[in-house]
Amino acid sequence: MSAHDMPTPDTAPATATGPTTDALATAAAPVASVRGLTVSLRRQGVRSPVLRGIDLDIAPGEILGLVGESGSGKSVLAMTMLGLVPRSARPRITGTVHTAGTDMLHGSAAQLRAVRRTRLGVIFQDPMTSLNPTIRVGRQITEVTGDKGEAITLLGAVRVPEPAKRMRSFPHELSGGLRQRVMAAIALAGRPRLIVADEPTTALDVTVQAQLLTLLADLRDEFGCSVLFITHDLAVAAQITDRIAVLYQGRVAEIGRSAHLLRHPTHPYTAGLLGSRLSLSTPRGVALPTLPDDSVPVTERLRGCAYHTRCPLAVDRCATQQPPLEQVEDTGGQRACWRDSGAVSDVHDAVVPAGGLAAHAEPLGARAADPPGVAIEVRGLTCQFHTRSGFGPRHTVHALQGVDLDVRAGEALSVVGESGSGKSTLLRVIAGLTRPTGGSAVLRGTAQMVFQDAGSSLTPWLTVGDLLRERLRIAKVPPAAATGRVDTVLAAMGLPSSVLSVRPGELSGGQRQRVALARAVVVPPTVLLCDEPTSALDASLAASVLNLIREMRRELAMTVVFVTHDLAVARLMGDRIAVMAHGRLVEEGDAQDIVTAPADPRTRALLDAVPRIDGPADRPEATR
Amino acid sequence: MNRFVLWRTGATAVLLAVLSALVFVLQQISPGDPARAYVGGNASPAAVAAAHHRLGLDQPWLQRYGRYLWHALHGDLGISLRTHRPVTTDLGQFLPATAELVLFSFVLALLLALLFALSGALRWPGTGVYRGLLLLAGTAPAFLLGLGGIVLFYGHLHWLPEAGRGVDTSSPTGFVLVDSLLHADLTGFVAGLRHLVLPGLALAIAPAISIGRILRAGLERAYRSDYVRTARSKGIREITVLWRHIVRNSLDATLSMAGLQLGFMFAGVVIVEDVFTWPGIGYYLAQSIPQSDFPAIAGVTLLLGGVYIVVNAVVDVLQAVADPRLTV
Repeated sequence: MSAHDMPTPDTAPATATGPTTDALATAAAPVASVRGLTVSLRRQGVRSPVLRGIDLDIAPGEILGLVGESGSGKSVLAMTMLGLVPRSARPRITGTVHTAGTDMLHGSAAQLRAVRRTRLGVIFQDPMTSLNPTIRVGRQITEVTGDKGEAITLLGAVRVPEPAKRMRSFPHELSGGLRQRVMAAIALAGRPRLIVADEPTTALDVTVQAQLLTLLADLRDEFGCSVLFITHDLAVAAQITDRIAVLYQGRVAEIGRSAHLLRHPTHPYTAGLLGSRLSLSTPRGVALPTLPDDSVPVTERLRGCAYHTRCPLAVDRCATQQPPLEQVEDTGGQRACWRDSGAVSDVHDAVVPAGGLAAHAEPLGARAADPPGVAIEVRGLTCQFHTRSGFGPRHTVHALQGVDLDVRAGEALSVVGESGSGKSTLLRVIAGLTRPTGGSAVLRGTAQMVFQDAGSSLTPWLTVGDLLRERLRIAKVPPAAATGRVDTVLAAMGLPSSVLSVRPGELSGGQRQRVALARAVVVPPTVLLCDEPTSALDASLAASVLNLIREMRRELAMTVVFVTHDLAVARLMGDRIAVMAHGRLVEEGDAQDIVTAPADPRTRALLDAVPRIDGPADRPEATR
Repeated sequence: MNRFVLWRTGATAVLLAVLSALVFVLQQISPGDPARAYVGGNASPAAVAAAHHRLGLDQPWLQRYGRYLWHALHGDLGISLRTHRPVTTDLGQFLPATAELVLFSFVLALLLALLFALSGALRWPGTGVYRGLLLLAGTAPAFLLGLGGIVLFYGHLHWLPEAGRGVDTSSPTGFVLVDSLLHADLTGFVAGLRHLVLPGLALAIAPAISIGRILRAGLERAYRSDYVRTARSKGIREITVLWRHIVRNSLDATLSMAGLQLGFMFAGVVIVEDVFTWPGIGYYLAQSIPQSDFPAIAGVTLLLGGVYIVVNAVVDVLQAVADPRLTV
């Protein structure tokens, strides 16, 4: 957090050129320039530093990726650049931020509003909640353009079909992809110089995500605006960004050209992120690589590199001295690490497996030797929902339309599909939580479920100890034996016994999902039903939870049904994969075969849309 | 939307029919013989029987209900035993005073609630005193507030009148404020307003708190919402963000609470009118009850119940307008 002798332009366009010699950033005056930015916020009564000295430039027409785990400060950085840090968080900010020629830290409220209206655009993560549900989308666009014709033009520019007709739609009448396009149209209003896209594709299906990424790149080409693209997924960043800045605990770990940075990371954290990313070529038979999970909460007192507790290359100096962000001689990038790049690339090469899909075709090690029985038998299963009766047109949703499926005892089956394909409904019917309209689903044995959102599936006012003991009490396990069982399951989950007296709200996301898993297996079920249990977690945390589920399956000889939208995860978790689309099972087979030789076009579409870092560097074509 | 309005109108008609049936049954099972009440205590059994026949009381229940409904639909709710005038005429005379008081009170409650909610949700400095006073006043029942108001503002300070409407009520619309405005009669308007303040406040405070609390919770939820963040990111003016994006999206639960409270106010007005000798429906009811004037009591019940049902139907439709997702 060194002091920078920065010129502070007030009204003139930003001409701040920091101590950077990056070719791209200095080619023209940057659209956005951040120098020595520190931000601390009050959350739940505790003030903590969120950004701890950020230096960053965005060049005109550039797409800069901002990558990091949750809590790295990437959203706060974006909000600061927009002048939108919520006042309720009592922000304390130092440094300088110039966006589109305006001082975003000291400008008047009217100035900031004007620059947001005319020079900046924003696309937020969840288009369902980010659009006003009670206002027609046309009005939400004209609110910025002030002109209806312009709004229709913009809807056309973001490839919304029949734009004039769509103006009168309410957000809930549009699909997720269309909603996000409406957000993009709002962002484009006023022909901005910079669009901030904060995880714009995280809430979307992979195929829709691919289309939106293409759209963003096209918009950059057509309108010549810069894009700050925030994501937790390196592969998504790889699809469209020119440069990537990796953020860790409020500091830039490294910045570089995307193609180079992803192949030759120069910071151990980037190497770790790349290594823990699950792809279609991750080895199946061995434990998934994870980052060490002992990150420390950052406080004002932190002296050294925030990553040193998790870093395999850490030396004494890392704990006591903050490494500065320095130029990397030959690449034009910047990195903040005491160790030299060579040491990092050695680690990276050791972690990232070489070779294609075929090299890792070994089956999961857990399959029991030809188990006799069938654990789950689904025959001609149909399930319909009626939306609202009494008034308004009646809609019938066919969630399941004749599904036949067998899961053998001890087998692991992954069910894949886009949202709305019926995969979660299938799981709920198997679990007995939803009554089918027709057909049958027979489950032999006992079942437990693990849900996506561990936060809301754990009773908030019970302690973790109560939650676990409750299950044992229902199973009539004597109290004397119960304590031992609780200790065993906690140890298996890698949770300290101190969590027993803590309520779910005080745990981190990864810990909550482990507690949810512990609750599911403390009384060992014969069938474990998982509904996207890791979709909300960072890559490394997700990998560690997946490892746990695989271990539990092996130890308890459980049958596992694993629902996910991610084919890479499906391949790692299942002996077999069942692909669903529009309430039907379209393909079913050995997990590796499905991934390497898909027979159904819908499976191929899912596979093609999976963002990849390696392999052919093609951008998926939009299917308009 | 049209289908929704149609459906809601149908439901309202059914509810009104049920209400009329309930009122009819209450009238039938209540003690006392209406025929005897007409002809007087000393009438001969023959005269009572004749009255029975004249009033149609010797016919089967279903037929009597049909007749009652038919007459009610034509504005005939029977003859008051006390005033010996048609109940409809009585109601027509007393209703405007009640309607004026309740509507004035309701607007007052909405304003107090809006101030309560906005000042709380947006943390306006120095407004905690207002919210504290309102909550404190809300702990007292309406009649106590009324009496306290009379003692303080009439008895000690002599600022406000203590009873009545202050004006001759035989004006064209029966609404003092409207009539005085129509006649450009400023003195009459001020007098009417001064008479409305105390009963209006006594009636308004409890609903204001209920509505205000719901609105405040809605405002706070909307304030933190993603779409408000989007609105700010558009760079539109903060006042536009507040009204178009925050307040409008906080109205759903608030509207139903406001409708509920408006219904309650028509019921609660009875006591307040009695305290302030306000010449309205409540005052009429309070006079009718001791005299066992069943046609009058039934008429008032039917009127207040009907108002309650219609108000709720209107609120439902308004809610659907405020949030189009409801009619999907």
